[in-house]
Amino acid sequence: MRRRILERVRQALRDRPAVPHPGVLDTAVPGAPPPLQQFEASFRAAGGEVHRFPDADGAREWLHAFAGQFGSVSHGADIPGPLALPLPEAPAREAAVGLSVASAAAAQSGSLVLSSRGGRRTQLLPPVHIVLVDAASVVATLGEALDAFRDHDASALALHSGPSKSADIGQVMVTGVHGPGRVIAVVLDAWPRS
Amino acid sequence: MKIRSREYPARARQSGDVRESVTGATLSFDARRRAAFADVAAEDWRHWAEGVKTHLLTHLDRYLEEAETRLTANGAQVHWAGSQEDVHRVLSAIIARRGVRRVVKGKSMLSEELEVNELLERRGVEVLETDLGEYILQLLDQPPSHIVGPAIHLSLDEIRQLYHDVHGTRLDAAPDELARVSREILREAFLAADMGITGGNFLVAETGTVALIENEGNIRLTTSAPAVHVALVGIEKLLPRWSDLAGFLQLTSRAATGQPVGNYVSMIQGPKTAGERDGPEEVHVVLVDNGRSRVLADPEVWEALRCVRCGACLNACPVYRQTGGHAYGAVYSGPIGSVLNPGLAGLHAAMPLPFASSLCGACADACPVRIPIPELLLSWRRRAVDEGLASRGKGALLAAWTAVATRPGLYEAAGRLLHALPDAARRVPLPVVNGWREVRADPQPARDSFRKLWREGIE
Repeated sequence: MRRRILERVRQALRDRPAVPHPGVLDTAVPGAPPPLQQFEASFRAAGGEVHRFPDADGAREWLHAFAGQFGSVSHGADIPGPLALPLPEAPAREAAVGLSVASAAAAQSGSLVLSSRGGRRTQLLPPVHIVLVDAASVVATLGEALDAFRDHDASALALHSGPSKSADIGQVMVTGVHGPGRVIAVVLDAWPRS
Repeated sequence: MKIRSREYPARARQSGDVRESVTGATLSFDARRRAAFADVAAEDWRHWAEGVKTHLLTHLDRYLEEAETRLTANGAQVHWAGSQEDVHRVLSAIIARRGVRRVVKGKSMLSEELEVNELLERRGVEVLETDLGEYILQLLDQPPSHIVGPAIHLSLDEIRQLYHDVHGTRLDAAPDELARVSREILREAFLAADMGITGGNFLVAETGTVALIENEGNIRLTTSAPAVHVALVGIEKLLPRWSDLAGFLQLTSRAATGQPVGNYVSMIQGPKTAGERDGPEEVHVVLVDNGRSRVLADPEVWEALRCVRCGACLNACPVYRQTGGHAYGAVYSGPIGSVLNPGLAGLHAAMPLPFASSLCGACADACPVRIPIPELLLSWRRRAVDEGLASRGKGALLAAWTAVATRPGLYEAAGRLLHALPDAARRVPLPVVNGWREVRADPQPARDSFRKLWREGIE
């Protein structure tokens, strides 16, 4: 079947002039705000929440206070020790909150890049998803963000650019349909040394 | 692919009950697309995307081989399917080998084209659509009516009634409540399913990456929770390079819903790797032809294969807005459907869809990959006339019109005659015209003809 399909395609293209690839598209808009500022605006516009801290100490204080309202957490892989939540660990399907680390972020589209290495269920099943973001990993465009992942060893990457939402019920927007109804980016200007 | 387009004229005239929902939803989608295009250099993006897809199509054999090589190196299994039967064979083999009993599905137009749910049901496999709109349609046993918003033809009250009947919710339940009920059912289904089936918005040849755009998270879960993931990908869905992906994700999202990018994008390279705590053990990618190589060979309509299924042409189309997607009687509705269906299923089967357009051009202006849809519709119309498939009555009427309109004296006399006729005499049964008149008031002739005013000097 493989051979037959390829043969049909070659036959179809026999008299078709080849068209060259137009190169890389730069989606950056001239005069756009600096990446961190633009990321905050885009992520919030899509329904996400953003909190920014100078370092791990400030972030930890906020995380601990925020964790008070929840009973359990599912930690993703590679959470820096000082930023773990002081809550009992639960399987992702039962946890009240999931905590992950973003591999990168894109400002223009307000996207967090998440690796399957972090744990997909943690990223998807708890109703609240907190994502730790290293400010140094926030770049202007999605093209720049993905460029760093041409060669990577994870089975999948995902972009999370806001909460789970749908307008399929009578054109009324609802959030938290299948994935988390709240997604919170916690941006650290200085990432803790490991 | 089943097509029931013959009934298009009758269905279109009966589409009054979906008009309010469809018109509201499409106008809103279209306004959001316009705003999202205005924020960026959309014309540059569209020219670029047209170029990438045209390059891809003119080198498709090479990129298909490259995609296969990369996917295989990533640990995914690649299958080639020439037809619907081939796809069914591939799925049946996986189902038998893995003992699959429960399947969850992400929204996929290709799976509709290939009648995948029918196959699964015949095999005794329980299948649940997990996109909220598709789930609602599965309960109603209806096909999707729009590429992006499959249930936009349904009003909130109709969905409330359905959930009341099926799930016992209150008739005035809030959409949030209906979503909660759906989530509980579907969450269990994700975690219990043996296999997830999705389509693929893009397949990057360079890296062997299947990319999927969505907002609900159901595709993320369909591709993450079950032990087996099968992605059905049309051979035209390839992208040459990894660096092409970011542009296409953003352009498609802006064209479809006006978002900078869908809230979730999955980029799947293969099965879970050592050290990963979850993810599918097997990833299968089925490369589907099913008529696409025939469209590629067509020197006049092959450009339709650039389509990224964003639905922008449906939202922009004044005809689609009036009738919704079901009237077309085919999986792919709206302007792009009227171009693709004759290519995929044969012109004879898809008649009279190439005529279901006023050729106003709004679709081509909206298309993110600049498919010249009106030109392609005209190409099919020419062939329909050449092959004797076009309506005879319409042909005769147009010939009569031409005979009169090209003879000034006769034209004027005919005008005077029509003007002098009593109302009743104007109701003579005429082909084509009668269908038009069924749903419209007769036009009232002006007191004086244009020619008369012209001769006397227009004030």
